[in-house]
Amino acid sequence: MMDERKNPAANIAEFFGVNRPTSRRGFLKLSAATAVAIYGANILASDQVKAASGIYILEDAKGVLVSDPTRCVACRRCELACTEFNDGKSSPTVSRIKVARNMNYGPQGVQFGFQRAQGKYGNFLVIQDMCKQCPHPVPCATACPNDAIEVAGPVKARVVNTAKCVGCKVCQRACPWDMMSFDEEIGKATKCTLCDGKPQCVEACPTASLRFVEWRDLTKRSPVRQAGMLSVDDSCSGCH
Amino acid sequence: MAKFGGWTGKTLRVNLTTGKVTAEDTFEKYKDYLGGTGLGYKVIWDEVPVGTRAFDEANKIIFGIGPLAGTGAPCNSRTAITTIWPVTDPDIYVATGHMGGHFAAELKFAGWDSIIIEGKAPHPVWLCIMDDKVELRDARRLWGNGVYRATAEINAEMGPEAQVAAIGQAGENLVPNSTVITGYSHSAGGAGGVMGSKNLKAIGVLGTGSVKIAADKSEWKKLIQYSLTLVGSNNQHVVPSTPQPWAEYYDPASRWTASAGVFWGAANPPVETGTCDPHDMHSIGFRCQKGIKDFGLDFGEKHTVRMGGCHACPIRCHAQMDYPPIEEKYGYSRYAANTCMGWFSPRMAYASISGTNASEAMMLGKHLCDDYGVWDNYALLHAVFVYAANNGILERVLPADEYKSIPWDQWKKGDPAFLLDFYRRIAYREGELGRGLGDSTLKTMRRWGIPEDYYKTSKNKYWKMGHPLHHSTEDSAQIGLLINLQYNRDAQTHSHTNFQNSGLPGQVMKQLAAKTWGSPDAYDEKGRWTPMNKYKAKVAKWSVIRKELHDSLSLCNWMYPFVASPLKERNYEGDTALEAKYFSLATGIPTSEAELDLIGERIFNLHRVITIMQMNTRDMRNEHDSVPDWVYEEGPEPFTPGSNRLPREDVELAKDLFYEECGWTKEGLPTRQTLERLGLKDAADRLAKAGLLG
Repeated sequence: MMDERKNPAANIAEFFGVNRPTSRRGFLKLSAATAVAIYGANILASDQVKAASGIYILEDAKGVLVSDPTRCVACRRCELACTEFNDGKSSPTVSRIKVARNMNYGPQGVQFGFQRAQGKYGNFLVIQDMCKQCPHPVPCATACPNDAIEVAGPVKARVVNTAKCVGCKVCQRACPWDMMSFDEEIGKATKCTLCDGKPQCVEACPTASLRFVEWRDLTKRSPVRQAGMLSVDDSCSGCH
Repeated sequence: MAKFGGWTGKTLRVNLTTGKVTAEDTFEKYKDYLGGTGLGYKVIWDEVPVGTRAFDEANKIIFGIGPLAGTGAPCNSRTAITTIWPVTDPDIYVATGHMGGHFAAELKFAGWDSIIIEGKAPHPVWLCIMDDKVELRDARRLWGNGVYRATAEINAEMGPEAQVAAIGQAGENLVPNSTVITGYSHSAGGAGGVMGSKNLKAIGVLGTGSVKIAADKSEWKKLIQYSLTLVGSNNQHVVPSTPQPWAEYYDPASRWTASAGVFWGAANPPVETGTCDPHDMHSIGFRCQKGIKDFGLDFGEKHTVRMGGCHACPIRCHAQMDYPPIEEKYGYSRYAANTCMGWFSPRMAYASISGTNASEAMMLGKHLCDDYGVWDNYALLHAVFVYAANNGILERVLPADEYKSIPWDQWKKGDPAFLLDFYRRIAYREGELGRGLGDSTLKTMRRWGIPEDYYKTSKNKYWKMGHPLHHSTEDSAQIGLLINLQYNRDAQTHSHTNFQNSGLPGQVMKQLAAKTWGSPDAYDEKGRWTPMNKYKAKVAKWSVIRKELHDSLSLCNWMYPFVASPLKERNYEGDTALEAKYFSLATGIPTSEAELDLIGERIFNLHRVITIMQMNTRDMRNEHDSVPDWVYEEGPEPFTPGSNRLPREDVELAKDLFYEECGWTKEGLPTRQTLERLGLKDAADRLAKAGLLG
């Protein structure tokens, strides 16, 4: 398993290039030494460290959601708990844990031979999609033009600050796993907050398929969700 | 703009003839009927002329959903499909098919409370609902496909998370015994042909909105968590089927089949269902290992992948099975999901055959029925087939070459491959056999000259009006009998059987019965039936009222009401006010248990008055509420251990006491006083005008 601390600058640049073209020259202004020092130190005075070049580095989250999909029975009580107990309404679209989109056919969606693929109409395997509380650089936070996605709460989740969010929806496209939600009824982005360390979804799951564990980096071993980008409305009115 | 929580406030009306789509105000028109069957009956009452036949253009089909669908109230997302029923003869009576899955919830997320469909499209169409964008799309290339393919095609167009309700070839071909299927294993019996007659192939729904909860979110959470402490297993069975360390009692017939050492054997890796202490909120989904219940311990455990079911339900009663020979031998998917009759029914085609490969017949039969969209008339179709095959009737009524073309040798060997031919004939109305079995069963029984003998034994399933028994005297004596009188199809009511079979011992059951209905006499131990009394009449009335309530709220009548709970510290008491509590908090309209039951009674009486108008008789007691002779004639002396037989006087007393409870006359006609008490004055007026008021 790669230890990204050994070669932070190269990995960050590579990772970053996927989502937002950034001048390699501009980025490498952050000296390798500084980066190693910040990463390696692992003791940060505050959640965000403003390095010399103006880059914000978000501290790792303290917890993350994981699941055992063999136990997922697609009852979707996790989606219900996420939204009813946080927002006072039931909405799979707003839900920050996402089951509906994989439930019927699996993460690949409808294909020929679907009866051999995943999901209820295939081999019954249902994969729950959860926010990985990405380590730095956090794609959604970095994409936000207003720095509205911050580290907050006792478990240092990445959280949308609704006071700063202007509803531009750029974050929706930034997440490689298409985990951002947008609540059209209030015009704000929203994402998994880990419910301040007591995730509602985990509490609601009737088969203990969902667990809340100490944070570990899931970003390097999870395939990105291509379908998400394709399903976003590409017309101008999608965002404007 | 929704004034209350729960409901969205908009009911969708689609006219297939004109293509017109309109939004109606749910609160203005339907609030007093909640939704579901209530809304369905109201539309039939107001808009469908008496005498309209099931496949007439003037018939309407209502996908009825209630205020609790889409919420976190455990076990909801039921859709009640109300229409003029094709399966009776004559086909002019109101009835409902029911399906679960995620369709109801998705429609609510799309911003709609229910769908009223009228008219007939000029060519095959499907209804595409994407939030408030509703359109009829051409279904000519989908027509002719089974449910599975049609569903996938619609999902390919709408996105994988859309929910689809579709008919197969059986519905397209106007087979009365046909279904509407959603989510691959959730079937609404009887309604498929009505959609087919309207050229409506399917409905696809995608909803990105929300269902509002009126109450404070922490109050709602408290109620949900409280209700989950009281939930048992499938059919609200509240004791395990085997001795468990936490359990004072157990009952081998219980659906709470989980245990240490019992697995979902085909999961990768296998998942142990475990001890499932009722205080553990994280093992509710394991309690019902339905695979072993439906297929037996060996096959069931080895081939269960997981459990599935409806939106918001932690119980999971659909066994999801994996058995590769289905693919290897027959070319159908090795993966199949269903529950109870979805499996048992195809097996019943072999009822008289020993050595049947039952598990294969169950899985293959499920695929054929759910893909063709064939309904079994709650197994009466198979009972008639077996009888006719074994008693020379098919030899007599089928043309010689048709009879020869049927693969009888496969049937006699118990070979599941027989079903490949059998269900195709029914779906495509091939020959006298295919047409006959797919037709209204009563019509076929008359045409084939099924003799009087057939009706003499409960083994042949027949109850009345072309439909079979459904949890009748064998389940709960007079209570089951009274419930089986009430409908125009097999009585899809489980309120009574859930409690009767909870698994608790007699003395506990009597205490719970006393608390719920006023006397321990409301309950008899199974097989130790006692003569009729007024408390049993109360239970019967309560059962059908709650069934209508659940079908109108979108709660699951296979789970509610919670008369019992698994908690010893509560003396196994449940909470029969849960429905009213969910309703009050979700909608914001404070409603007591009694007030909600009044609405249920209103809905139940609306079904009654529609049926009276359609039957055009004052003698509902004998013409509609009829009892098969085997109730009086089959079995040992009444009220002796193990006997389900009832004397005529006792049955007549049961009817008297039930009608009294309901506020009906001795003929079974609601009185003006009763109807006005229930807010149905216009029904009283209409009945009076027709000379049919009690």
